[in-house]
Amino acid sequence: MTTFEFSRAPLEPSQLAADLADPACGGYASFEGWVRNENEGRRVERLDYESFETLAIREGERIIQEAIERFGVRHARCVHRIGELGLGELAVWVGVASGHRAEAFAACRYIIDEVKHRVPIWKKEHYADGDSGWVNCERCAEAAHHAHASGHAHDHDHGQGHGHATSSPVAVDYSRQIALPEVGEAGQRRLAAASVVIVGAGGLGCPVLSYLSAAGVGTIHIVDGDVVEASNLHRQPLYGVGDIGQPKAHVAADRLSAAHPNVMIRAHATRLDAGNAAQLLALGEVVVDCTDNFRAKFLVNDAAVLARKPAVLASIHQYEGQLQVARPDRGGSCLRCVWPEATRDGLVGNCAESGVLGPVPAVLGSLQAMEVLKILLDLPGQLRDELLLIDLLGLRQTRLRAPRAVECSGAGCARIHGLPAPAPEDLELDLPLAEAARRGLRIIDIRGAEEIEAAPLPVEASLAYAQERLIAEAATLLDPSARYLVVCARGVRSLAVAERLRAAGFSAVHSLARGADGTRRAR
Amino acid sequence: MAGVRIQYFALLREQAGRSSEETDASGDAAALYDALAARHGFTLPRAQLKVAVNGEFADWSRELADGDEVVFIPPVAGG
Repeated sequence: MTTFEFSRAPLEPSQLAADLADPACGGYASFEGWVRNENEGRRVERLDYESFETLAIREGERIIQEAIERFGVRHARCVHRIGELGLGELAVWVGVASGHRAEAFAACRYIIDEVKHRVPIWKKEHYADGDSGWVNCERCAEAAHHAHASGHAHDHDHGQGHGHATSSPVAVDYSRQIALPEVGEAGQRRLAAASVVIVGAGGLGCPVLSYLSAAGVGTIHIVDGDVVEASNLHRQPLYGVGDIGQPKAHVAADRLSAAHPNVMIRAHATRLDAGNAAQLLALGEVVVDCTDNFRAKFLVNDAAVLARKPAVLASIHQYEGQLQVARPDRGGSCLRCVWPEATRDGLVGNCAESGVLGPVPAVLGSLQAMEVLKILLDLPGQLRDELLLIDLLGLRQTRLRAPRAVECSGAGCARIHGLPAPAPEDLELDLPLAEAARRGLRIIDIRGAEEIEAAPLPVEASLAYAQERLIAEAATLLDPSARYLVVCARGVRSLAVAERLRAAGFSAVHSLARGADGTRRAR
Repeated sequence: MAGVRIQYFALLREQAGRSSEETDASGDAAALYDALAARHGFTLPRAQLKVAVNGEFADWSRELADGDEVVFIPPVAGG
């Protein structure tokens, strides 16, 4: 039986599955790719597949071999159709048989993802309007094209076998963690088959990413729409001065892939929002919240609860941190059991305003990585239905019981009915302040006096008010017919203020995306 | 009057200028916070905070007893 082949004849999945039968296998997973009637908004009527077969088969066999070695499965095979296919026809089939289901699912996913990216197969789409076009490895090409465009939503894969990653002759030796009786070989295989989504690649994200990839967690998704800033470097040791201005997700993925080529790192250089949260969280079995604002933290929590997925959440403030693990999959409490109403940004300071020492996020992020490993390996002592408070100045640790809210029962949370509607598109404006002024927007600076002194705006603000006063007295301070642009340092507080002013009836209020600091850097 | 020990975190620690203190309290946890807010100039409204007494989250109407360990916890979001 060949492990990767092309077929000109229609595929028979039951026959293909039968060929993998093995009494030693307790799990079988398969994937079928079908011809769809639509691509990027155009109606497709049929497809032609072509391939450079000798090269494609060699690469395909390499992928299957990688999957067998990486996930410890017994049999794996992929067959791809070639020639003309009609709608609904089976275009590609992947089958994996193994001792247990977790490795079978993970290997199957790995194979189809890698085949899509690495095997030279061209697809000619015939559209309903009579037009046709060739499509090949478009995600790769697009991602490479945008690799340095910050804030642009796209995926890019890093890691072994992506064609341009270097392969190391020396493999990572996990013997020191396998030696733990609670881990063992089975635990290591479990980690290799696991997938984790990490939202935020900053102070908390750096240790989480470093330790989970070092531990051999098979697939790691990094979600972060920010670029590296000079002010990040003192607490985010994955980055250096040469990375300033580059998207964090890509820089982190490159560093980690180079160090751990057996780990698949996927970079999503985009901000988590209500529109993409469900899709991004679906990529992993555990979610780690390493964000730095309440909007994102509650979004991660709510999306995880709706998806019944464990979420490991941490936050820091100066010398302190809070750690909580939401287990909606086990009927446990979530962030809203402690904070029923999502806290608004701007109420308490963030790292930019309040300051932070590097080891504080390092400690909290390391604890997050530890809780993720405890969940994946089913180790005892997992933090659950508790809030852990850590004060690194006084070296105090306080564990508070945070039981599930009495009004929650069964699956889910009584306070979460769905993700918030995505913010109106024009709520945030991303433009130079001079341009905003030219367009007649009146600029409201809500930063504190020290922030203003440290980084004056390039244009004079029309108004400067503390955010509490602005909101409380909006009716007298603002002209309902004028257009306003609210500005803070990073665009987090201003977004919260703009949202509240709109809710109060001021429909022409906008927030400066990325704030005064972000737009100044971009100039 | 009940003698209680209080722990502060985050913004409250900054504004109180200390991470803990002992004080006399009469009445419930809400009355204690309001008195301390007046003393230290806390800016966070009580509705945004949680209070825990002796290691468990408690209602603001919890009557305080001699020797209680009281913790006021603001939400934090840094990362």
